[in-house]
Amino acid sequence: MPAGAAIEAVGLTKRYADVTAVDDLTFRVRGGSVTGFLGPNGAGKTTTLRMVLGLARPSAGEATIGGRRYVDLDEPARTVGANLEVAGAHPGRSGRNHLRALAAMAGLPGSRVDEVLRLVELDQAADRRAGKYSLGMRQRLGLAATLLGDPAVLVLDEPANGLDPQGIRWLRDFLRGMARDGRTVLVSSHVLSEVAQTVDDVVVIHRGRLVQQGPVEALTAGGGGVLVRSPRSDELRSVLYREGLTATETPDGALVVEGVDAARVGDIAFAAGVPLHELSPRSASLEEAFLALTSDAQPAAAAAEKGEPWAGSLPES
Amino acid sequence: MGRLVAGELIKVRTTRTALGFAAASLLLVLAAVLITILAGHPQTVADKRDALSFGAAIALVLLLFGAVAATGEFRHRTLAPAVLIAPDRLRLFIARVAAYAVTALALAAVMALVTLAVGVPLLARENGPDLAGSDYVRVVAGGLIVATLAAALGVAFGTLVRNQVFAVIAALVWVTILEPLTGLIDDRLPNYLIGSPLTRVAQGGDADMSFAGAALVLLGWVAVFVLAAALVDRRRDVE
Repeated sequence: MPAGAAIEAVGLTKRYADVTAVDDLTFRVRGGSVTGFLGPNGAGKTTTLRMVLGLARPSAGEATIGGRRYVDLDEPARTVGANLEVAGAHPGRSGRNHLRALAAMAGLPGSRVDEVLRLVELDQAADRRAGKYSLGMRQRLGLAATLLGDPAVLVLDEPANGLDPQGIRWLRDFLRGMARDGRTVLVSSHVLSEVAQTVDDVVVIHRGRLVQQGPVEALTAGGGGVLVRSPRSDELRSVLYREGLTATETPDGALVVEGVDAARVGDIAFAAGVPLHELSPRSASLEEAFLALTSDAQPAAAAAEKGEPWAGSLPES
Repeated sequence: MGRLVAGELIKVRTTRTALGFAAASLLLVLAAVLITILAGHPQTVADKRDALSFGAAIALVLLLFGAVAATGEFRHRTLAPAVLIAPDRLRLFIARVAAYAVTALALAAVMALVTLAVGVPLLARENGPDLAGSDYVRVVAGGLIVATLAAALGVAFGTLVRNQVFAVIAALVWVTILEPLTGLIDDRLPNYLIGSPLTRVAQGGDADMSFAGAALVLLGWVAVFVLAAALVDRRRDVE
């Protein structure tokens, strides 16, 4: 498999009795990118990843990595590193022995175990039983297992869970390092702040359905209105009101005008002879955009039909 | 397949579970040999052979060993990392069965040595005919076969039921209570179930069923359970 292969899901669906956990989900993860797989708890992220990795059988649809289903990969451990459980290690087995068993199964040399333990900075605790590990240490053990085969694709489910701020920073640097090497990283999270500074693209799902995918910048662009500052703020607000626009005052005296671009606000102020000291488009925060998406979930297809600005597909890798 | 078995064997060796079952086996074997000879004073060839049938003493323990090991994968949610490395679930399951069967075989070999080291000098002090070389071969071979098949059966049964507590209780209740009760329906019925053939193979056969016949019955049950577990496991989602 070429380095950094793409991950694709087409019409992926998973039904449990009367519950549809994942509903006709289609998305594409660019090769060589770090993609955040986002959604609130219970959105279907883990179920989706389990189907991508062949751990759960889709009710419909298919997921491929580098064009092949996971179960059809010749050497999965050398192709994809995945961590869905927190470590998945027997509590009575040491971290080192857990990795030794996995390395033996994958046909990897024992020396690789020591390498990955050092890489995730768990070498000092490697001979302690996994049951005695903190949540953060188990996360690192899980990451070590994903790296055993030096894979070109990483799939990580909520890897920041249980990490302290230093750990999250370490994880961020780690993921960026993986991407710099040309690897594809798909990382799920329900906490945007954990991944906001790390990912290139996002795939957002809610109630098992896709609500958005695209570059992370596009998620926030154009959604925050226009910030405008004038020494005659009250007069500017009146002028804008007469034009049918509503301005909200910020604590520091600026105005935020929704539903209009900066040029239009500038033209209105110029025509009224109101001086401006600042005029800039304002981006919504990723958090705001995420909350807006997942509180009023709309499938990507519906969003595209409405011509919303950042609904669209990822560029080809 | 070889590397999957090697990985599973590392898993067997690196928790205390195997050690615990080995200790239990040793205690049972010593107790069985000492009590049967010192308290029972066997006089006939059949009784003396029974006194050395270490396989009968450890068969149930090794069945539970396999069941606990297999259900432990579900209980501790340790299956996913292995399946990610070996997505062919059938191969992974067969590797697990093989690893526990090999472990049980090794454990049984040690138990055979312990039994012979303790039992043969004690039997020499008893009256009656001595055991022939073929008697020793039959008891040792029976013990090794029973141990191997019991562990394989346990892994298959554990894979089918998944719940550890249920698996242990169900195995115990079936072998020690329900299966003997089937003799009330027809006294030959237990011969074709699990517990009785386990004991019979371990003892080298008896008048009711030959060694080969009992081994065939046992092998049949193991094949049924292994096949059923493989089919069910292959279709299941990994949690």
